[in-house]
Amino acid sequence: MRPLVFFPLLAAVCLHGQNLADFEKRVTEFTLANGLHFIVMERHEAPVVSFHLHVDSGAANDPANASSTAHMFEHMIGKGTVSLGTKNWPEEEKALQAVEAAYDKLEEERVKGRRASSAQLERLKATLDKAIEKANSFVDQNAFTKEIERNGGVGFNASTALDYTNYFYSLPANRTELWFALQSEWTARPVFREFYKERDVVREERRMRVESGAQGKLIEALLTTSFTAHPYRNFIGWASDIENLRAKGGAEFHKTYYVPGNMCIGIVGDVNPAEIKRLAEKYFGPIPAAPLPPRLVTREPQQIGIKRVTVEDPSQPLVVIAYHRPDGTHADDAAIDVLNGVLSSGRTSILYKEMVRDKKIALGLQTIPQFPGGKYPNLFLYFGVPNQGKTADDLEKSWDEIIARVQKDGVDEPTVKRVKVKMRAGLLRALDSNSGLAGALASNWMTYGDWRKMFTDLEELDKVTPADVQRVAKTYLLPSNKTVGVTVQPKKEETK
Amino acid sequence: MRNLSLLIASLAAFGQGAAPKPVPAKPGQLQVGAWKNLKFGKLADVKIPEVEVFTLKNGLKVYLLENHTLPFISGTALVRTGGLLDPGGKAGLSEIMTTVMRTGGSKDKTGDQIDEQLENIAAAVESGVQNEVATFSFNCLKENIDEVLGVYFDLLSQPEFRQDKIDLLKTQFRSAIARRYDDADEVNRNEFQTTVYGRDTPFGREVEYETLDAISRADLIDFYKRYYHPANMMFSVSGDFDKAAMRARLEQVLGNWTPPANPVPVFPKLTHQATPGIYSGDKPEVSQTFLTIGHLGGLYSDKDYPALEVLSDILAGGFDSRLFRKVRTELGYAYNIGGGWGADYLHPGTFQISASTKTESTVHTIQTILQEIEKIRASGVTDEEVATAKDKVINSFVFNFDRPQKTLSRLFRYDYYGYPKDYLVQYQKAIASVTKADVLRVAKQYIDPSKFVIVTIGNTAEFKTPLTDLKLPIAKLALKVKEPAADKAQVSGATLAKGKQILARMQQAAGGAENLANVRDVTMTANATLGNLAVKQKTLFISPNQLRQEQELPFGKVLVKWDGKTGTFQAPNAPGPMPMPSPVAKQITEEMFRNMFTLLLSDRNADRTVNAISDTAVEITDKSGNAATLTMDAATGLPAKLSYKMMGPQGPSDVESIYKDIRDIGGGVKAPFLVEINQGGKKASEIKYETITANTGVKPEEIMK
Repeated sequence: MRPLVFFPLLAAVCLHGQNLADFEKRVTEFTLANGLHFIVMERHEAPVVSFHLHVDSGAANDPANASSTAHMFEHMIGKGTVSLGTKNWPEEEKALQAVEAAYDKLEEERVKGRRASSAQLERLKATLDKAIEKANSFVDQNAFTKEIERNGGVGFNASTALDYTNYFYSLPANRTELWFALQSEWTARPVFREFYKERDVVREERRMRVESGAQGKLIEALLTTSFTAHPYRNFIGWASDIENLRAKGGAEFHKTYYVPGNMCIGIVGDVNPAEIKRLAEKYFGPIPAAPLPPRLVTREPQQIGIKRVTVEDPSQPLVVIAYHRPDGTHADDAAIDVLNGVLSSGRTSILYKEMVRDKKIALGLQTIPQFPGGKYPNLFLYFGVPNQGKTADDLEKSWDEIIARVQKDGVDEPTVKRVKVKMRAGLLRALDSNSGLAGALASNWMTYGDWRKMFTDLEELDKVTPADVQRVAKTYLLPSNKTVGVTVQPKKEETK
Repeated sequence: MRNLSLLIASLAAFGQGAAPKPVPAKPGQLQVGAWKNLKFGKLADVKIPEVEVFTLKNGLKVYLLENHTLPFISGTALVRTGGLLDPGGKAGLSEIMTTVMRTGGSKDKTGDQIDEQLENIAAAVESGVQNEVATFSFNCLKENIDEVLGVYFDLLSQPEFRQDKIDLLKTQFRSAIARRYDDADEVNRNEFQTTVYGRDTPFGREVEYETLDAISRADLIDFYKRYYHPANMMFSVSGDFDKAAMRARLEQVLGNWTPPANPVPVFPKLTHQATPGIYSGDKPEVSQTFLTIGHLGGLYSDKDYPALEVLSDILAGGFDSRLFRKVRTELGYAYNIGGGWGADYLHPGTFQISASTKTESTVHTIQTILQEIEKIRASGVTDEEVATAKDKVINSFVFNFDRPQKTLSRLFRYDYYGYPKDYLVQYQKAIASVTKADVLRVAKQYIDPSKFVIVTIGNTAEFKTPLTDLKLPIAKLALKVKEPAADKAQVSGATLAKGKQILARMQQAAGGAENLANVRDVTMTANATLGNLAVKQKTLFISPNQLRQEQELPFGKVLVKWDGKTGTFQAPNAPGPMPMPSPVAKQITEEMFRNMFTLLLSDRNADRTVNAISDTAVEITDKSGNAATLTMDAATGLPAKLSYKMMGPQGPSDVESIYKDIRDIGGGVKAPFLVEINQGGKKASEIKYETITANTGVKPEEIMK
């Protein structure tokens, strides 16, 4: 349930003040005593509602040596609650505790390494398997998702990003209370049901997203090369970590990060705010307040020279080039967004015109202003696909030339203006979807403390000048700050 | 449509199944199990937006919808054409035409100028094409409607198809072809489609280097002129405008457009039957196998489509299907598992189940999927499963109306494809009445495991259980891009030398090079079966390229005369001969290239190259682009088979002539008296020679008389 999110939900883009006033009239906000914040927007055009739970922690918060913990926990949404997904909760609870006890015993033996007794290991593994089998006998499979689907729920999904985790779906408006009942129970008391089987599913997800395609392999190699210390180097988790994740680790993660003050809920649709507040108090009010999670203190040290990484894959070549840049709340953020648009947005962008249209060296390309997350200092990224007969080197050379030109000569006013107009309209278009809006309200509140940020950024965007664009290009797109990743075909003699 | 909301409400009430169980919940305590007790009120009525339909004075039908949610206006034209109408040998023409219609600019402005003009105001004009429809659409802020509609109409009515943008797109197509086999997931999806729909049919063919090379700007213009006119299109506009004003604007901008129009051809029908079995592609670099199992599906209009949808949902839809439960939840074999019955508007969709699983569990995953399918076909489904599947459709029905735009695009598409306006309501009613017995019946009737095509793309050597355990025929997928014929084989000094040796051996076996060179003319009579037709034919040939052939067909005589450069053609019942039509001339030139006597002496012709592609086969090519592969019988040294490509109405197909019954024809030379011709892997024709006589002294006058 974790899409390869290339684009942040909404870049810092903007809208006219008039629209904001109109918007504000329809938005209601409140915070429960336990610290859980709600943003409700009324849209009565159709009797439907979209719900979005945003948790301000994600894969960057994975414990050391347990990468994919956040992601694995997110998968537990499909496993239900103490009252939904079980045939007999008291018995199942006991059985799940027995599984953990058996697993602990097995680990105690495993940790001995060469001193471990293989007979003992085998016995303990068999005991664990038996305990798992017993626990599984109490499971009412996929009951949670089934309950949502049979009630007409659509778009049920969840995703784990580096910065956050979110859970969302839409319901017919008359079933609004169902979301409160299900989501509050799960948020407060998730059950680590079928955890070790789901671990295999997450392992398959890694195989699918990273290990079975050149692009996935390349992006992972780029991140681990470019980041030395910061958890942004953790793309989707390591195979061996995933294969050893524990339910008790998931429980610990939940206890630390799924606290009311670290979450925000966005609701958009045909709802009555007073009724939403009543339901919020009833269902989420009883969740106890808890201390906020610890800060993530690791900072990426400054890069001190160009880095390169190659990935062997028989596919046609791909190239990715990245530069460290500050986090999304930095004063240069708007100018970096405009630089991004100038470089690669649409057929009028500098890179498209030069690499795709005129020189015909690229089949396609993209730049991404912040990757893989935005909460911490991250990367400005270029991704290029060479045309037939062209190489990764051809694209890198062309990229270097173009960037040197932007740094030396800057960009013209009409180009910057065009990019701003497109970004503004892009935001407006995104407002069409209830579900997208619910997510944007919650994530902007969580990041900036105010959902209006998605509109008020207009002023900052408007202030960006061609000189600013040139300045950020000169500040960040430096050779010493650059990481290049390419795929190369394995040498013939090394393959069978 | 107005009473639809009532229907939704009543069905929604009926959808609630589970008996409520009491749950203790004190105020201030977490509401555990509260979901069991919930009672839901009636869902508010959905507002069905008013769509206005009218026809402009030039015959263009227009759908109009006012929607003031956001300050945008968008419009779409549907054009009755599509990839299915790409001419044979020119796969990709419709896609290139529709793309360059936008990027190549109009008469007055280049595409680059238009890019800038539109992006300056955050507007877009884009085009696209599918099998049976092409689209041309715009989107803009409402204040820019006049400017954008102007650009839109300019491109629609006088596209310039500038050559530089055709070249750019072809370069991109070539790069995409080169990358076709890079991504295992994509390869799996692609190979399943091409196999099920048939690689040589308009439904399954792919754009290749050859077909790109065959497409010219003139083809784009022809294609455009043929399909882009008001009577062959429909148009819709929706967004933030006043209906009356928009109607007047459209009348003014679009209503006077009256280009010449001719009737357009109908879409071809799918007749292909895929050969069932496993199609296995090897990709050693991946750790997961991507696989698809299935066969052809049906149409949305099939009366059993609703029952098939219920079946699909239970078998493979959503987060609680039988396959999701078995393969993902229980076995942990896959992150992705799903699929179901597939339908389309005008041609059959595909029934397919797809999954990706770690290399070692490939075969077990396939077996599990096949078992679940067998199980559902044998013992059907439960009442509860049917009720849940129906609840899903019925309770989520409101989402078909959550945005006004959805209603417009639905009505618009139904009209285009000839479906009833109330198709969606009929469908929902039909879903509500599906029974357990219906599901079992359609499972047995429509899902046929004996017809399954199973595609696997993965690291075959590491499958723990081999594919052979499935006890099904296995075909290997090459996963290699079809290179243009000319550079197909490796050419080196060594392969050329070897080619010479192989050819020399064939010459020797057929009578020796000198005797072959001494064949000046050949006279042949034959009884042939061409397709289903019994044909008597008489052929005179003067080396190297003069020909006269009389064929007696059941409905008359065909006479071909060819002096090496020009000739005549006389069709059955025609009053007399006509100058040789160019397709027939082309065919004759190709036949002359492939003539056994000249082919065996290719080493004596400076225009030809003879290159060994194996120990027993040579590829013979000439400077005009002809190519054929001649395979030798390793035991006798005689030519055994000739393989080549023939351009047909559906694109190029592979042809093989098998030589049998090789005997003396005089002059110390041998020739086959029986030739079997296979086309696209199937036997198509057979020619049985009664007599073949060399050197009777045929004169050029006899050829042309």
